[in-house]
Amino acid sequence: MEQAFVVVTNNPVVGKDLGEIMVVDGSFEDVLLKVRDLVYEGHQLISHPIGASMRMLFSPYRSVLVGAERSETKEVYALTIESSIDTFRRSTANRNVDYVNADDYARIDLELLKEAIKEHGIIQREKIQEVQ
Amino acid sequence: MNLELRKIEIKDVVFGEETGVKDGVLTVCKQDIINELMEDVNVKSIKVDIAKPGEKTRIIPVKDVIQPRIKVEGKGNGFPGVTSEMVQLGSGKVNVLDGVAVVTIGDIVGFQEGVIDMWGEGAKWTPFSKTLNIVVDIEPVEGLDPHTHEATVRVAGLRAAELIGKAGKDAEASTVDRYAMDDIFTETSKYPDLPKVAYVEMLISQGLLHDGYIYGVNSQKILPTLIHPNEELDGAVISGNCVAACDKITTYQHQNNSAILDLYNRHGKDINFVGVILTPELTTLEGKFRTCDYTAKLCKTLGVDGVVVSEEGYGNPDSDLLMICKRLEDSGIKTVLITDECSGWDGMSQPLADTTPEAVAVISTGNVSHVVELEPADRVIGSAEAIATLAGGWEGCLQEDGSMVCELNAVIGATSEIGYHNLTVELY
Repeated sequence: MEQAFVVVTNNPVVGKDLGEIMVVDGSFEDVLLKVRDLVYEGHQLISHPIGASMRMLFSPYRSVLVGAERSETKEVYALTIESSIDTFRRSTANRNVDYVNADDYARIDLELLKEAIKEHGIIQREKIQEVQ
Repeated sequence: MNLELRKIEIKDVVFGEETGVKDGVLTVCKQDIINELMEDVNVKSIKVDIAKPGEKTRIIPVKDVIQPRIKVEGKGNGFPGVTSEMVQLGSGKVNVLDGVAVVTIGDIVGFQEGVIDMWGEGAKWTPFSKTLNIVVDIEPVEGLDPHTHEATVRVAGLRAAELIGKAGKDAEASTVDRYAMDDIFTETSKYPDLPKVAYVEMLISQGLLHDGYIYGVNSQKILPTLIHPNEELDGAVISGNCVAACDKITTYQHQNNSAILDLYNRHGKDINFVGVILTPELTTLEGKFRTCDYTAKLCKTLGVDGVVVSEEGYGNPDSDLLMICKRLEDSGIKTVLITDECSGWDGMSQPLADTTPEAVAVISTGNVSHVVELEPADRVIGSAEAIATLAGGWEGCLQEDGSMVCELNAVIGATSEIGYHNLTVELY
């Protein structure tokens, strides 16, 4: 069985068809803070909390994958989410959130989320085959 | 492999009845390009413009930049695996229209920026203000899904470059650059005392608008892979990345990868350049751990003494960059990182999204947050909406006289992480 995941998101176009969703009623930063709480509660950080370009930091929306199960908090996950929050705050300090293009950001966030779920699924399948 | 890049110096570009080169002037038949690109059923319309250095022209939003070329000896014209049949690249003779660039524009999403100013302050920051730009504006048919839209624009640009490149078939080259490198064992027997150095080139590999391609294969789907430097110089690596304007590696920059050219230049003198490893920057942490482990393993298998690593993008790829660095340094391999930094308007903030104490040799290619003022253009090629996005960064960034201030991250190639740009580095 694949390891279950939860999508932590404030993106309105992310639907339940993708899996379990934890909706954050708030901003990009609120999503990161929720992910931080979950990581300290022992959830695995599956996808990196921030994107691969400056532009995606100006997005109103963000979706992050975390593991559904809880265990001990791993240092690498804690360091990653903490540095991501720090990066987000520093990079957007002088910038407006780009609400004008909100629909496009929602769409691209969804596409990148789907890729992350696919990537996670492949890694999990490989692990399972190894065990068998 | 033996590759000759034969540079035909182009002094001017004009439109005319027939595409060709005469006395250093490239004539382009606009209608031929339009007709060829319109053969794709997903293309609704094509516009072709010319933008020359010094003109008060702004090009926005730029998707890719490609150097037009033609292979005159050997196999592999165009972009094998994408626009032409699959063959091994890296050998033969290639005529290059030097000084010319095909620039593709077309907004797949509204938040693309990617500006090239051909004059003034903006021109100082992008290397593509100095090229004679043939700008191809690609409008797709309605209703395409975003993946097909992106692919349509990407491939149309490559085809345009291929078509224009044909003009150089019989032209005389003013300079010929030769790139010859044998297998690692032969090269090492030639230079047994020189340190072996590999180049790791990281590629954003995260999905729509965030992809790179190797012989047409999406780099998301690969483990890190070894490639001969000539293959990249010959067009094996293509950009599908549309969002990180300042630090995305355009196809043109892959074709002329500065890190490869510099390492080649020192090969046999003070280093033994053993090859290029292309490494995907994935989205998941597990994926990152795997590719970083694998990259370090390839370097160790090659028995290198030193590695130069270049990043693409900013944000989560910083983690990959530093994980690769840590793994290599822990293995006793000296590592130099090339990256840009996001260190705030005053340049005083922490530059990267991640840190590691092993990163002791880092070359910065510029601060993406540096603010520049762009005056209004006489002519805009592209989209007014993209300018609105560019001008909407923060309160007061649009001035009364129509000029605007923006961060360097909006300017194409401004902080190129392979060093193909206008900034320089001071040694500390």
